[in-house]
Amino acid sequence: MQNWYENKRFFWGTMLAPTIWFVIFFVMPMALVWIYSFGENNGLIDVEITGTFKNYKHVFDRDVLQVLWQSIIMATIATLVCLVLAFPVAIAMTFADDKTKSWLLLLIMLPFWTNLLIRTYALISVMGAQGLINMGLLGIHNFLLGAGLDVGTFEPKQLLYNKTAIIIGLIYVHLPFMVLPLYAALDKLDRSLIEASLDLGAGHGETLFRIIVPLALPGIAAGIVITFIPAMGAYLTPDLLGGPNDLMIASLIERQFKRANDWPFGAALSFLLMYITLIFFALRSYFEAKGGKVSTGH
Amino acid sequence: MSEIKLSEYEIAKFLKGNAHSRRAFMAAFGATAAAFTITSCSKGGDGAKPITSAGKFKIDGSEAKKLQFYNWDTYIGENTLSDFKSDTGVEVSMSLFSSNDELFAKFHEGNPGYDVIMPSNEYVTRMAEAKIIQPLDHAKIPNMKNIDPDFLNPEFDPGRKFSMPYTWLVLGIGYRKSAMKNGQIPDSWKYVLDSDEYAGKIALLGESLDLFRLTFKYLGKSVNDYSPELLKQASDILVKQKKNVKRFHEDDGQEMLLKKEVDLVIEYNGDIAQAKTEDDDLDFLIPKEGSLLNSDCMCIPVGALSPNNAHGFINYLLDAQKGADISKTILYPTPNAAAKALMDDSYKNNPIIFPPKEALAKCEYGKFLGAKVSQEIEGAMTHIRAE
Amino acid sequence: MKNIFKREPRAPLEYTKSLRLRAWILGVLIFLYTPLFILIAFSFNDSKRMIEWKGFTLKWYQKVFENDGIREALANSILIAIACTLVSVILGTLIGFVLWRFKFPMKGILESGLNLPIVVPEICMGVGVLMFFSKIHWPNDLPWPLNLAQITIAHITFAFPFVAVVVRARLENFNQELESAALDLGASQWRAFMDIIVPHMAPGIIAGALLAFTLSLDDFVITFFASGPGTVTFPIKVYSMVRFPNGGLINAASTIIIVLTIIATVIAMRLQEQPKKNT
Repeated sequence: MQNWYENKRFFWGTMLAPTIWFVIFFVMPMALVWIYSFGENNGLIDVEITGTFKNYKHVFDRDVLQVLWQSIIMATIATLVCLVLAFPVAIAMTFADDKTKSWLLLLIMLPFWTNLLIRTYALISVMGAQGLINMGLLGIHNFLLGAGLDVGTFEPKQLLYNKTAIIIGLIYVHLPFMVLPLYAALDKLDRSLIEASLDLGAGHGETLFRIIVPLALPGIAAGIVITFIPAMGAYLTPDLLGGPNDLMIASLIERQFKRANDWPFGAALSFLLMYITLIFFALRSYFEAKGGKVSTGH
Repeated sequence: MSEIKLSEYEIAKFLKGNAHSRRAFMAAFGATAAAFTITSCSKGGDGAKPITSAGKFKIDGSEAKKLQFYNWDTYIGENTLSDFKSDTGVEVSMSLFSSNDELFAKFHEGNPGYDVIMPSNEYVTRMAEAKIIQPLDHAKIPNMKNIDPDFLNPEFDPGRKFSMPYTWLVLGIGYRKSAMKNGQIPDSWKYVLDSDEYAGKIALLGESLDLFRLTFKYLGKSVNDYSPELLKQASDILVKQKKNVKRFHEDDGQEMLLKKEVDLVIEYNGDIAQAKTEDDDLDFLIPKEGSLLNSDCMCIPVGALSPNNAHGFINYLLDAQKGADISKTILYPTPNAAAKALMDDSYKNNPIIFPPKEALAKCEYGKFLGAKVSQEIEGAMTHIRAE
Repeated sequence: MKNIFKREPRAPLEYTKSLRLRAWILGVLIFLYTPLFILIAFSFNDSKRMIEWKGFTLKWYQKVFENDGIREALANSILIAIACTLVSVILGTLIGFVLWRFKFPMKGILESGLNLPIVVPEICMGVGVLMFFSKIHWPNDLPWPLNLAQITIAHITFAFPFVAVVVRARLENFNQELESAALDLGASQWRAFMDIIVPHMAPGIIAGALLAFTLSLDDFVITFFASGPGTVTFPIKVYSMVRFPNGGLINAASTIIIVLTIIATVIAMRLQEQPKKNT
């Protein structure tokens, strides 16, 4: 890493446009909402900024924490499953020829260019009581009956409206968010390392864990960030696939801005998530800076 | 009209003396004649002639030839907007929203440029209180006379000062007839709110305020009653009932019913009426305790750029023939008595679309209970879901 | 996917030819595509709902072609997504690079701040954008396609940090000596950037572009709050149909998108292959 003043023109040339954009179109709008988080409702659409911390106090209600905790658990499971599913796909992309690679990328992305709501409805018609899976099970059941086996009467499997359904939905919706960073980190990596490892007698499994996984680490970290966080923020999937107990934090926040018309509390909830992130990443870059160069420019 | 073109072609053939064509001609002519009678009687004479209707719908003091209309998607007659353009010269641009809350939030920072919007019930009150919508000039809406008098003085907008009714709906229980035990009829909210008889086969509304209002109704109170004790009592019932509930649905209860995921749902009559056309095993009723009415209303937001066009447009939608065109497309109950009179019997006499008067007599509109109460109810809902 | 299970002799690094890996990918694809096939099948179903097969029909396709509203919404969505992708890729790549390459004051704040657009709940950002555009009196009556600017700006704002994260991850494995070597050989800073670093970032840029495109195409909440009167995008169209779900129509429109995407990709690949063959 270079100090910015050693190369001022190049630094400003690359840094200025994105930073200005970020400040104008993100920081400024969000500052408006942030101020609201210290406000109190005064009538229907007037929010008086009183500097109160009431909204933040409200965030620590038992119900809210419960919902937050549940969201963290579900997003974590979904992220881990995504990682397991996506890793081999990313490996295959990395080592495929250009044409196969393009096709694989397209095949992974294509489902995600269909509207989320529609895709979720399609998922429901796979998992429903009269959905594809249950129809298949019914077919097997009838076949067994026909073969003279006593398997009783068929009860459709309850696949929807529970936590598992939400997790499956989250995986379904967020899988490419894991595949893409992994692919980006691994693609065209230094094959000589792997060849060397294999030449030196390491098995494929050992090579995988000793060489490929470390090389993929930045990609894994990026993948976790952009899968876990949006999974936490999903509201449509839990609303459509979840049961009566399954409220997630994003739905709760959405309700504050809409149904409850309590923008200050909604703002406080939203910013709580952002404070946590800010602290987490600030600590990370602090330790990185302290530890010196972290990038593995071998 | 395609029939006429066909018959001209057939006339030529007929004159050539082709016997087969002659029959075809008769058939075609018969069909055209029949079609013509239907159009002329259903259009009530004037709608068929655009020249007269253009005069009829002329907007006095029409502003720019443009109108910004904010509505649910597909919530208008198939040709209503193009008809309006040919009748008045004003082009309507329809933008879309998907819930009252979104609509309200969108106007939080002022009118982004809409002329006519479509909130429902207490949102009319809320928006009037928040000075989002402006009072209507009834003199510019002569078709107000078409509205059923029952709809002229709702609690949420006394005297229709701010809004004109577009459709109305009522919440009730949609159910699968064949799944009811011993031919039972679920004629009380008890079956969905306070009983394990159909455990796991029930879907409730996810909309917190409506759900609580119905629970108040079940407890023998008005949908507009509110006290912390009542809220607690209702909340306890719902917490207890939760184990029997499969899902709090997002206004897609009819789909769950059709897919046999559940046998009982709280839903709107219009949605069940649509679903019933595909599955006759479904039915709908208003429980004996009474229920909650809902009505989508046309309003003009403060800061509308073309208020005269907006009044003209609202008046146009309240016209008998235009109203009937809309009802034909969307099949929701209409508050427009003149339009209803023009509809087929299958619509007018549909007991789901128009439930019996006695049942409706026990139903009420939800009033706006104040911002605080909405927030408390939302908090109670969070508690139920998180518990 | 022909011969997917045919096992050929493989060299050590040809993981693509591993039987287990192929089965795994096939499994993932089945997971991803089963709902999609159902969706496509139901676009030919003679019913508005995705419940029962009621007979084959092409009427939904006919209706998509007759329905100006849907076509306009689709065109808007695609236009916004393309614009968003182009700008996000440039901004995201630049900032991803800066964060990897330079040390500078307040870097920690900028770096963690850039994660916020990923974290912020959609509704919260939507409300912020609504307030922002209303405070600065952004004109709401611009002619098409300028009236899409607000939505596009909002999309770029939440999409480019995703690009930055992916590009940054890609750069971690870069051998910085390559750049130094180019500089030693007298290349200008920008030349070295364009000739050495950008090619290395390419997979990250592609991945980031795909993410930005996907995010923009599918966004509803922020779009809703950023849009002025008269601007309808495909997700807004779909969500506002809640009163009258018309699955058939929407499925048909979605199927058309899928088919068009595949055709576009095939053409793009053909075009890419040609110059290689000539040389």
